[in-house]
Amino acid sequence: MAIPSPYVLRETGSNLVRNIVMTVAAVVTMAVSLTALGGVLIMRQAVNQATVQYQHGVEMIIFMQATASQQEISGMHQELVSMVPSQINRCFYVDKAQAWSEFKQIFSGEPDMVKVMDVQKMPPSFRCVPARAQSVSVLAAKFQQQAGVLDVKYPGQAIKEELARFATLRNVALVVAGGVMLGAIALVVNTIQLAIFARRREVAVMKLVGATNWFIRVPFMLEGLTEGLVGAVIAFAVTYFARNTLASFTGSNPFIPSLPLYVSPHAALLTGVFVVVVGALVGALGSGFAVRRFLSV
Amino acid sequence: MIRFDRVSKTYKGTVAALRDVTVDIRRGEFVFIVGPSGSGKTTFLRLITKEERADEGEIWVAGKEVGELPPWKVPYLRRNIGCVFQDYRLLPDRSVYDNVAFALEVIGRSRHFVRSQVPQILELVGLGGKMDRKPNELSGGEQQRVAVARAFVNRPLILLADEPTGNLDPATTAGIMRLLERINQYGTTVVMATHQHDVVDAMRKRVIELDHGTVVRDQARGIYGMVDA
Repeated sequence: MAIPSPYVLRETGSNLVRNIVMTVAAVVTMAVSLTALGGVLIMRQAVNQATVQYQHGVEMIIFMQATASQQEISGMHQELVSMVPSQINRCFYVDKAQAWSEFKQIFSGEPDMVKVMDVQKMPPSFRCVPARAQSVSVLAAKFQQQAGVLDVKYPGQAIKEELARFATLRNVALVVAGGVMLGAIALVVNTIQLAIFARRREVAVMKLVGATNWFIRVPFMLEGLTEGLVGAVIAFAVTYFARNTLASFTGSNPFIPSLPLYVSPHAALLTGVFVVVVGALVGALGSGFAVRRFLSV
Repeated sequence: MIRFDRVSKTYKGTVAALRDVTVDIRRGEFVFIVGPSGSGKTTFLRLITKEERADEGEIWVAGKEVGELPPWKVPYLRRNIGCVFQDYRLLPDRSVYDNVAFALEVIGRSRHFVRSQVPQILELVGLGGKMDRKPNELSGGEQQRVAVARAFVNRPLILLADEPTGNLDPATTAGIMRLLERINQYGTTVVMATHQHDVVDAMRKRVIELDHGTVVRDQARGIYGMVDA
């Protein structure tokens, strides 16, 4: 099975060029579908990043002062423990070091802000899941007065709105991605079918002289793989370079409205790689199907 | 080299194409398969290359039972068999040289091997000077020579020819027959299906006559028609 032989590469290339209109159609639809998919992932990352403090059902955060004493912190801890489970479901403590790494993540789009802060300026905090959501404001008011407390936040509504907005956008984008993907697969299958038809004489001769099934199939499968890959690379470029625009579709940071949602290049890169892998798989599977269906060997 | 042992083949919904055929062709033989249209000549050849499957019986080709051969091994069987047809089956957009080279490229032969073999074989079939021509610039006889070159370039053990001279005039036919005879002299077993009396009568080779799928005659140094003893 001489796969990367010059023969196979030449055949793949000429197949792609022979049917240039179909090839372009397949590549473009593939790119549109994968961009929608990549966009969803980018938005999800942006939303997750902005709401990282409020994951796992946390609805209230008691920020202690950065200068709060050990006694103040352990006093607060004991009080919170005593309220479980009647008023509070559970609480956990986030120390300065954890707060600092979280801060850097949230403000990774604002390096100036990270520069003026450091780990000692970070407020430690208690992340709480209240027993009843309605009692959050009462609890917050109570803790607000205590010694060593900097602030109590319970931005429940803002987060819910943000997540709801994201969920809507995600569902729409996933439906679009899925629908266009079906079109893209159909176009890949059809392109390969045309290529097989255009080369039926060669295929007949190849069978006659004893070319192996794989040797006959591989150029067609590579053609589909290439279409998937090229479409995916376009989608990759769009999702990577337009990552902040895509992220802004879900709004801005729910806590600091002036701060746009932000996705790190690293996260966008991972998304892009995922999109490319999906594109290659879809291209290969589409052409694999076409080859099995239309190329009896 | 080729052995049919009580082979039968029926196409769906039609009469039997081959019925209980038993034939033994030895290495280096030159054999004519004769009979009218529909007598089973083409089926006989297609069974050898496993383009068709026998319904009953065993077919041995180059030491292998074809029916037992898994699909992935069929291409390797076909590398031992060259095929020539009445309609040449050349690739119209490729030159003479490329048509012959194609047969070697697609079975993974090295570029070096292709470059050394193709001109040699084209010289053998008498087309050394027309390597760059396209098939449509050649006469029918020349096109058939290209097809023979393509079938023989991999030095197969067996050459199957299905009515190879059916479209050619008598003088050109004689040329093709001399070519096949020459290939036979290199040790390749040649099996040729034909319904042309003059071709068979001129060669005086072994003749297997089929009629409605049955072997009605198998005669060494025969002629086309039955000879009354």
